[in-house]
Amino acid sequence: MNATWLLPTAILLGIYVLCAGCYGLVYALGRLRESRKVTRTAYGFYAMQGLTTLLLVALTPLAWGWKLFLVACFLVYAAIPPITWRQLERTHALEHES
Amino acid sequence: MNQSKKLGVQYLTASIVMMGALLLFGLLASIFYLKYGFLLGKLDFNIVKQVHINALIIACLWGFMGAIYWFLPDELGIETVGIGLARLLFWVFVAAVAVVVVVFIFVQYGSSDESGMWLVNQGRKYVEAPRWAAVGIVAVFLTLAYNIFASVAKARKVTGIMGVLMTTMIPLIAVYLIAFPAPTNMSVDLYWWWWLVHMWVEATWELMIGCILALALMKLLGTSRKVVEIWLYLEVALVLGTGILGLGHHYFWIGTPQYWLSIGGIFSALEPLPLLGMVVHAIYDAGKHQMKTHNKPAFLWLIAEAFGNFIGAGIWGFMMTLPQINLYSHGTQWTVSHGHFAFYGAYITGIIAVAYMVAQESRGIREVQGNAWKWAFAGLNIGMVGMVGALLVSGMSEAFIGRALGGSTLDGFMASQSNSWFMQGMIARTGFGVIIVASYFILAWDLLTLGRRSEKLSPALATT
Repeated sequence: MNATWLLPTAILLGIYVLCAGCYGLVYALGRLRESRKVTRTAYGFYAMQGLTTLLLVALTPLAWGWKLFLVACFLVYAAIPPITWRQLERTHALEHES
Repeated sequence: MNQSKKLGVQYLTASIVMMGALLLFGLLASIFYLKYGFLLGKLDFNIVKQVHINALIIACLWGFMGAIYWFLPDELGIETVGIGLARLLFWVFVAAVAVVVVVFIFVQYGSSDESGMWLVNQGRKYVEAPRWAAVGIVAVFLTLAYNIFASVAKARKVTGIMGVLMTTMIPLIAVYLIAFPAPTNMSVDLYWWWWLVHMWVEATWELMIGCILALALMKLLGTSRKVVEIWLYLEVALVLGTGILGLGHHYFWIGTPQYWLSIGGIFSALEPLPLLGMVVHAIYDAGKHQMKTHNKPAFLWLIAEAFGNFIGAGIWGFMMTLPQINLYSHGTQWTVSHGHFAFYGAYITGIIAVAYMVAQESRGIREVQGNAWKWAFAGLNIGMVGMVGALLVSGMSEAFIGRALGGSTLDGFMASQSNSWFMQGMIARTGFGVIIVASYFILAWDLLTLGRRSEKLSPALATT
């Protein structure tokens, strides 16, 4: 790490998780309102996280191991909101059955 | 109201009062950065900070204990076993904390031998309490564990939530024992000290608040036990999976082997993943219940818990958790910013939510009304976001000027402390601190007077 890239890298890392949070939040809102438009907006936030990942990989002086790790996490983030939502619906359906 | 619930109210009241001390000493600590020589030689910064951070620990512990004693009889259907001893120890605990605070403020320093550690201060951050008080804390925890285990045995009912809570009590007590030895090797000392601090804050406390919020959700929203327990088990798996080895991010610069850089970086970077699931869950609950509840402040504080945890621990933590960044950010106001946001998001919000639930039920209020809670909610959250934002600006300035450009030299440190970005952040921090303290007083007033301004339950409903 060098002085020039310290703060940009940290801020990009913060934006990386912020975009993931917005993706999860808006995805949940989209599913709640059953609105495709809102769900598409959620994917827009996920795309922004992808762009942030790209910037982190291409520009910052992080070691390659960490860059690969960030890419892997980016892929995992894609699955969390849909899986969580599906599980929530499944468990709450069980609640209504019982 | 039975004895256990009365004790729950006492602990939660004490927790809210201790939050007042926490905030007032925090505000006082912020003034040291604005006025050089402030209270110099009378009440130095290190003493004020010491009271501030120890008040945080005690406020959280009292909040957890209050919630546990409140929910325990409902969960098990019997009065808590050994409640007489627990009620006695509450007053002993409160008196001991008062004595420790007086010693911290007026005695301040002890001799550099065993007597100083037994009577004045053990000297390690967060566990400065003298040994006699630390022995007392162990006694209180053992009593709490006895109350829980004996009540479960008597009720012959081990629910999933109680299973997790009982399991949590064992490491909670075990890691606190690390507060007692005083190794002379600083690396060894810090290695084990982080076991205590990290395993409390990012493992056992997470599970305790998870159990408390599970019990709260069942009462507040009527969520079924089956659903709550499935998610609690999932949380246990994810929190422990990422949290335990996340300990490594504290081992970066204390003389431990280099492999901790990778372990700490990877596992702490994984910590936001379960928090994202919590955000989705919060939206699901809020939407499915259409925000309809008889206790809106409790509900909104629970939602704030999910978001605060994600932003404070997740976003703020991820910015500085990779070793390459942490090399520069470690020990600056940047860390302070993350610490404040994470503690507030993960614990303080949850305790306030439970305090509203307890106030409603204990006073037989049908629906929590009024505007005071809205002002307190808005003020505390806006104040906290503003304060951690200001601290982040100061911290980034410190890391950039003092560490990255200044090479962590004394000159670099001095340059960073007098830089205008740093100073403006410090001024803004104090300003937002005033908003937080003012909002706290509204919160305390609201909790204190809640039943007087709201519609009471009919006697028949109040007794059910």
